[in-house]
Amino acid sequence: MVSSDIGAALRTLREGGVEFVLVGGVAAALNGAPFQTYDIDIVPARDEENLAKLLRVLHSIDAIYRIQPARRFKPEASHLRSTGHHNLITSYGQLDVLGTIGRGLSYEDLLPHTVEMDIGNGVRVRVLDLATIIAVKEELGAEKDLAVLPLLRRTLEEKQRGTR
Amino acid sequence: MEELPEVLTDYSEDGVDLTLIRWFLSLTPAERLEFLQRQVNAILRIRELNGIE
Repeated sequence: MVSSDIGAALRTLREGGVEFVLVGGVAAALNGAPFQTYDIDIVPARDEENLAKLLRVLHSIDAIYRIQPARRFKPEASHLRSTGHHNLITSYGQLDVLGTIGRGLSYEDLLPHTVEMDIGNGVRVRVLDLATIIAVKEELGAEKDLAVLPLLRRTLEEKQRGTR
Repeated sequence: MEELPEVLTDYSEDGVDLTLIRWFLSLTPAERLEFLQRQVNAILRIRELNGIE
């Protein structure tokens, strides 16, 4: 059976000292959008030290590429240096490691647009803010991005009205 | 017994259920993650029961 433990995956990344920004559907949900998703999307800092930490964590949670899972391709440092997307399956479920998002936004570009959130048990994660999630999806304009914009925009409006 | 208000729903012009958003916003991030995880687990269990990987 495919299992999922989003909290454990994020906690393991943080305990491994990995610097990353949480983006995508889980970030939208943590920002308050009632959004259903299965995979975790992160944009890590791509300096050598951080990539080494990330690689250690990925190997510890048995990360392999989702494409051709039977061949069990493991991510390597040379792969993670790229700006590309790495769609992985781990012992905690699907994890997408994204070099950049949108039109080339890196960890450093995203960092000023994050909020640190406590996701439970004292684990704190940097989460892309809702306004930037919306801006990235508007810029990309793909059908799948446009489809979720009404929910995200209304959530941002409600949030700005001060629900929480 | 208290009377229910006349309007029991609240949708935006583009059809988004605002009551759902307000409820989700009333939770803390940790509670939102817990809820999301419960939903994911429930769906995975149903898929497994139906033989879908």
